[in-house]
Amino acid sequence: MAHKPKRVGFKLDMTPLVDVAFLLLTFFMFTAKFKSDAENEQKYEIKRPTASADTTRLPDAGTAIVKIGIDPKTNDTVLAYAVSNEKDRSGIYGAVEGIGGDALHRAQLELAKDDTNKLKTLVLATRRQDPKIKFAIDADRRVSYGRIQTVMDAFRSQGATIFNFVTVSGADAPKDDKAG
Amino acid sequence: MGSVDLGGGGRSHKKAGGVKKPKRIGFALDMTPLVDVAFLLLTFFMFATTMAQPQIMEISVPPNLEVPIDVAESNLLTIMVRGDGRVFYQRGAGTNPIQPLKPEEVRTFAVQANAEKGNALITTLKVDPTAKYSQLVKVLDELNIAEGELTTKYKQQGIESGKRERKFAIVAMTPDDKAALTAL
Repeated sequence: MAHKPKRVGFKLDMTPLVDVAFLLLTFFMFTAKFKSDAENEQKYEIKRPTASADTTRLPDAGTAIVKIGIDPKTNDTVLAYAVSNEKDRSGIYGAVEGIGGDALHRAQLELAKDDTNKLKTLVLATRRQDPKIKFAIDADRRVSYGRIQTVMDAFRSQGATIFNFVTVSGADAPKDDKAG
Repeated sequence: MGSVDLGGGGRSHKKAGGVKKPKRIGFALDMTPLVDVAFLLLTFFMFATTMAQPQIMEISVPPNLEVPIDVAESNLLTIMVRGDGRVFYQRGAGTNPIQPLKPEEVRTFAVQANAEKGNALITTLKVDPTAKYSQLVKVLDELNIAEGELTTKYKQQGIESGKRERKFAIVAMTPDDKAALTAL
């Protein structure tokens, strides 16, 4: 560096800082996983229950997820059916009467919370569309078990006897996780 | 790549006895905008990343069978979760006593009960519909962890890990069970 006779202010070497910043940037860029289409559409956040034994990740594709959440405004239970594969959506949603147009391509289909018949129709249609699809129940931990049981019975009646509960690892869980 | 001679401008051209110019070493480039953008991206990715990745826990329910299968009552263990989240267990079925189980004891109890019966124990889980979903997952998680601990236990008993057949089902709670649990 060229030295000037007069020192005005001071110089600080920013190189290490910038190095670290870029390192972090690349790290976050590669690990970033964005919200799925379905999560973008829903107005509520599902607070998943914690589990530690099974650390299998929820696959991004090839899943049909029944979502049971709690609407923060009304405190009411909400039910939705989300199919991850875009090409399968219209075929599955179309099995339900009264659904057409734009709704056929939505990432998730909102259902009335007690509409077991529609759920059964959807599960059967999903199995016909893709027999290898993975079923999952993504429910809020505050929901009562009765709701889960209804969905499980719907799965069972349509022959989907293997499915998954979506959980979150205990280490990643937020601090207010003192349910139960 | 070709290089263009710019006629005396280059550093490599040193004429003996030339005019002494202040030497230019390297070059200065203002990195500020680049660093600004880098930090902007960094903060964006930091906030946009969802660190808590969802996991899955596999559950299987028995298919709808026309003919019920008879099982030995001695091999049956039922774990029950009451509406308020308290856990109970019952060996066998019918009027056998229902005993309370502390949440932190579920794991050791499951390991011990399975080890006693070798490979034959059939575990069923009955959860009251008014209980919270998190309570069900908690018990399931404990049972899953117990499964891992059992592998070592079975090895001591001489049962190979591949031979383990887990017999587990989530069953609907009957009104009788509910009444018995409420009385406790």
